[in-house]
Amino acid sequence: MEEKSNGFARIGSAFSGFLAGIVQFFSEFGTALAGGDAFVKLSLIWWGAGHFRRKQYVKALLMTLLEVGIILFTFNFAMSYVPKFGTLGTVQAEQVFNIQTMQSEWNDYDNSFMILLFSLFSFVVWAASVVVCMRNVVNAYRLQMEAQQGHHINSFVEDVREYLDKKFHITLLTLPTLGIVIFTLIPMLLLILVAFTNYDQQHMPPTNLFTWVGFSNFVSLFGGGITSTFGYAFVRVLGWTIVWSFFATLTTYFGGILMSLLLNSKLTRCTRLWRTMLVVTIAVPQFVSLLLMRNFFANTGIMNTICANIGLTDFLRKIGLISTSYIPFLSAPIWAHVMIILINIWVGIPYQMLIATGVLMNLPTDQLESARMDGANPFQVFKSITMPYMLQVTGPALVTDFVKNFNNFNVIYLLTQDVYVTTNQFMANSQAKEVDLLVTWLFTLTQDYYNYKMASVIGIMVFVVCAIFTLIGFNFMIRGDKEGTYQ
Amino acid sequence: MKKLLALLLTLAMVLSMAVCASAADPISLVVWGAEEDQALLAELVEGFKAAYPDQTFDIQIGVESESTAKDTVLTDVEAAADVFAFANDQLNDLVAAGALLDLSGQVSAVLPAYAGKTLEDVMAANGEGSVAAASKDGKLYAFPMGGGNNYFLYYDSTKVSAEQAQSWDGLLAAAEAAGSKVGMTFASGWYNASFFLGAGFIADMNEDGTTVIDWNGTSSDGYTGVDVAKAMAEIAANPGFLAIADGDISNQIASKAVCAVISGTWDAGAAEAAFGEGYAATKLPTFTCAGSQVQMSCYSGFKLMGVNAYSKNSGWAVLLAEYLTNESSQTARFNSRQLAPTNLNAAADEAVSSNIAIAASAAQDVYGSVQNVGGKYWDPTATFGQMVANGELSTADEAAIQNVLDTLVEGVCAAIQ
Amino acid sequence: MTQSKLQPAVHLGKRNTKIILHNALIAFLCFVWIIPIVWLVCTSFSAYPGKNTSTFFPEEWSAIHYVKLLTPDTVNQFPTWFMNTFKIACWTCVISTLFVLMVAYAMSVMRFPARKGLMNLAVLLNLFPGMLSMIAVYFTLKTFGLTNSHIGLILVYSASSGLGYLIAKGFFDTVPRSLCEAARLDGCNEAMIFWKIVLPTSKPIIVYTVISSFLVPWMDFVYAKMILNAGISANYTVAVGLYKMLEKSLINTYFTQFCCGGVLVSIPISILFFIMQKFYVEGVTNGAVKG
Repeated sequence: MEEKSNGFARIGSAFSGFLAGIVQFFSEFGTALAGGDAFVKLSLIWWGAGHFRRKQYVKALLMTLLEVGIILFTFNFAMSYVPKFGTLGTVQAEQVFNIQTMQSEWNDYDNSFMILLFSLFSFVVWAASVVVCMRNVVNAYRLQMEAQQGHHINSFVEDVREYLDKKFHITLLTLPTLGIVIFTLIPMLLLILVAFTNYDQQHMPPTNLFTWVGFSNFVSLFGGGITSTFGYAFVRVLGWTIVWSFFATLTTYFGGILMSLLLNSKLTRCTRLWRTMLVVTIAVPQFVSLLLMRNFFANTGIMNTICANIGLTDFLRKIGLISTSYIPFLSAPIWAHVMIILINIWVGIPYQMLIATGVLMNLPTDQLESARMDGANPFQVFKSITMPYMLQVTGPALVTDFVKNFNNFNVIYLLTQDVYVTTNQFMANSQAKEVDLLVTWLFTLTQDYYNYKMASVIGIMVFVVCAIFTLIGFNFMIRGDKEGTYQ
Repeated sequence: MKKLLALLLTLAMVLSMAVCASAADPISLVVWGAEEDQALLAELVEGFKAAYPDQTFDIQIGVESESTAKDTVLTDVEAAADVFAFANDQLNDLVAAGALLDLSGQVSAVLPAYAGKTLEDVMAANGEGSVAAASKDGKLYAFPMGGGNNYFLYYDSTKVSAEQAQSWDGLLAAAEAAGSKVGMTFASGWYNASFFLGAGFIADMNEDGTTVIDWNGTSSDGYTGVDVAKAMAEIAANPGFLAIADGDISNQIASKAVCAVISGTWDAGAAEAAFGEGYAATKLPTFTCAGSQVQMSCYSGFKLMGVNAYSKNSGWAVLLAEYLTNESSQTARFNSRQLAPTNLNAAADEAVSSNIAIAASAAQDVYGSVQNVGGKYWDPTATFGQMVANGELSTADEAAIQNVLDTLVEGVCAAIQ
Repeated sequence: MTQSKLQPAVHLGKRNTKIILHNALIAFLCFVWIIPIVWLVCTSFSAYPGKNTSTFFPEEWSAIHYVKLLTPDTVNQFPTWFMNTFKIACWTCVISTLFVLMVAYAMSVMRFPARKGLMNLAVLLNLFPGMLSMIAVYFTLKTFGLTNSHIGLILVYSASSGLGYLIAKGFFDTVPRSLCEAARLDGCNEAMIFWKIVLPTSKPIIVYTVISSFLVPWMDFVYAKMILNAGISANYTVAVGLYKMLEKSLINTYFTQFCCGGVLVSIPISILFFIMQKFYVEGVTNGAVKG
């Protein structure tokens, strides 16, 4: 209970801290605007004004250029998309062929997807410039105060030097953040918005337009309606996704620890050789090793030939485990589920073994020795010393691994794509398979059926479910904030 | 001020020169063809350039498999090639997405102007079926490039007699006697439709893009869907039958697991190598349905060459696509990769008609129909085939089979989204 | 060891059996793990070009497919693909490593108002399935004219790498603060502390980041296939090229070459791993301690 309240308190404090930050930001801005002189007020309109007044000419110039840049961006680019954001475009593409030029001439048609993308881009730029503008006013006010109190005002060179020292984090974070905003944040927001549109095969840009439809996609996932099987498939796919993430995470985690204990035991000879053999499996790209596995375990693959030769197939038929003339390792539910988890153990243990090896090197040996002195058997040592230490150290990583497995595209896709055919008609009617994870399902929906709207809804559900598990996981795993333990 | 004016003037001049220069710019086109077509395409493109010596072309050739062209094209139509080859089962989706230029529209005027023939000439030069497969709602959306993209029976005549190859009963008996198997892919709507279509059922497309099938009812020939499903289940249960996963057929032929197999011209090489002396091919067999013999049908498939609706140089793209599919190009393609010509003159060639696989494909085509189904068709039919192949349908329980067929029809006919 | 010297011979024998059993178990496990790799290598030396499904070892041995793989034809341009991927991997590696270290340092060592907020945001962003936003990334790249270019791929692989800063941050958290304080007293600014104090002590985490980001372009086939969509096979990366060899019409002529390609790709990666193994383990461990 205590942990739980601790966890929720953490979230609560993070949230209130966030709010407090915003409030402080606005109040600073308010004070600056109220208390500032004409130039401070002017810097709302002309960003360079405050700096200009304090003779920071280079900075004034830079701010002015930035402002001009944003204005140009707004009128030359943003304004041709943002006004259409409400409808996502109305002009359908039309063309006329001109035999003189041997070219098709197009009208100035709208592309809903581009309108969505560039509008979002513009919103992000505008939001950033509002923040910059407000900070700029606050800065101008600070300069005014410093000037009034007769303090030294930084020259441009001194300002730059500041960015290598007190404001070094800004220097460090600018480029990476820019990358994340363009390549992760905006695409993510865009696909969240797509969940509220009718972007699907019937509405594919550039030829066709799509538009806002509100919550109807969510309704068709949960409320039955025209796609009643979607809800059916969703529940099953979600169920398997959770089961899979759970087993995939735990089996490789404990497997890795056991493997590392085995390898690093004093009884082991030629540790390096064994470890090398395991690590080689990491070096082979998954699309090679997993596709090979898939052939290996195919209905007509080598494993089946071997099983048939040693009579295993006949034996399984006799006891009624299979009805086919082969063992459906990767082609029937349950069989495929188990095989996928087993193969994932093959994929995952070498990584986890490396991590566990490193962590266990730091295991406090005095505890181990005293436990041995007390006559504890290896299992007891493992249970009461090794495991608690491992869990304490790698617990948070366990939660991240869970989320990674939740979205583990490669293993499932490479092992089942094109070979697994479901025999559940209701699953088939919504293009899902028993072995699909939510991510592979949404991948099929986008790649083969261009059903972006439903894929986006599923993507949002993945996000929600992952968030819930992360929250629960961190509540269990993290006892207080460990930051600063070493500092 | 004067200086600025001068600067502006110079700028304007440079710009206008650039515009003038662009008139002399080469006409740039991109063609996508299959891997196995690359060498031939390079040759044909040179021929095309030579046919229009007044123009300068910059033609790039890219690799895109005919069976997956749609996926790449639809991801970003504007970035796709000007001219691309694809299999006719993708036509509906491509047209719906507006990716294909309507060749019978205004653009058809380029043919008489530059190629010395009309669109009607081109359509008349190719087989009727191929033109139908390249058309939708009376508009031609692509040039037929090759035929024979259907399936028929390959068999090893040392193990199966020509007479036995006429029916499933004969085939399965022969396979059992020879200790071998008859292979077919059940888990694919492309293959398993052959039973239903043969018994007189339909698979068609509505105007709104949804698919319509009646496999759970009674066909025009008086068979019920349950009859057909039972016939399939009986074949699947026969020890002489091997259900092959979709895409694994060539491999099964090459590994000599079968003495007869249902596949298409693309496997001719593999079948010839595996069956050796006994290599033979014929139309699909008949199957026993409700006590009588029913001839299997098939989807007649064609390879087409379409022009991207968003092509920058659509006029020249049409001419190039036409050139790459004309009589001599089709003959060259037959010589390089044994693709059956759709051009009637090219098809009449001795070498074509004496090709065992192409002859069998043509014999089967008589019973075939052009495939016209939507995207929702594939998953449910594949699942149905897999259920039959796995022996999940008991021939004794007709109500259960009817239920399965009802669900199948419901899934296939569902609204598109 | 001193203990066993004092033990009677019987105990020694028991210990030996234990050692043998223990090592036999490990040998068995390693055997299981290595089977697919052995199969890959064996198949790559098969004389038969297609899939072999009946026997574990090829019926006829030959290195002919290695020769074929290294001589380009219309389908296979392996040497070019290899160089492309190598180039992309190097750039990805440099940019990713820089980004990761920069973010990690800012989050670990520096204190500023938005720090907690940004860290929480990063956790949230990591929860969203990246597969979904592929199409948006594609059109963003297209806007800048970067599709079908290796620069575009490098950006895709490295631009968002800052999000994976957690392990490196965990590592930096273990660098003693006293070192930094001392440097600051000596008149170093933050940038100098980053370059001269923290980075030199962080070799393991740098190696870890370098290896993990170097691997990405060799493994990814989904993004690469989408972005290199002009069908120009000289532009492909190894993953796209090899993956295309498995298309229905090609698999029977190229399967063995596909295996050869798999082996050839694994060799440089394995070597990298063996040289760097020690650092890799240290890096991931110390990072994961806090990660």
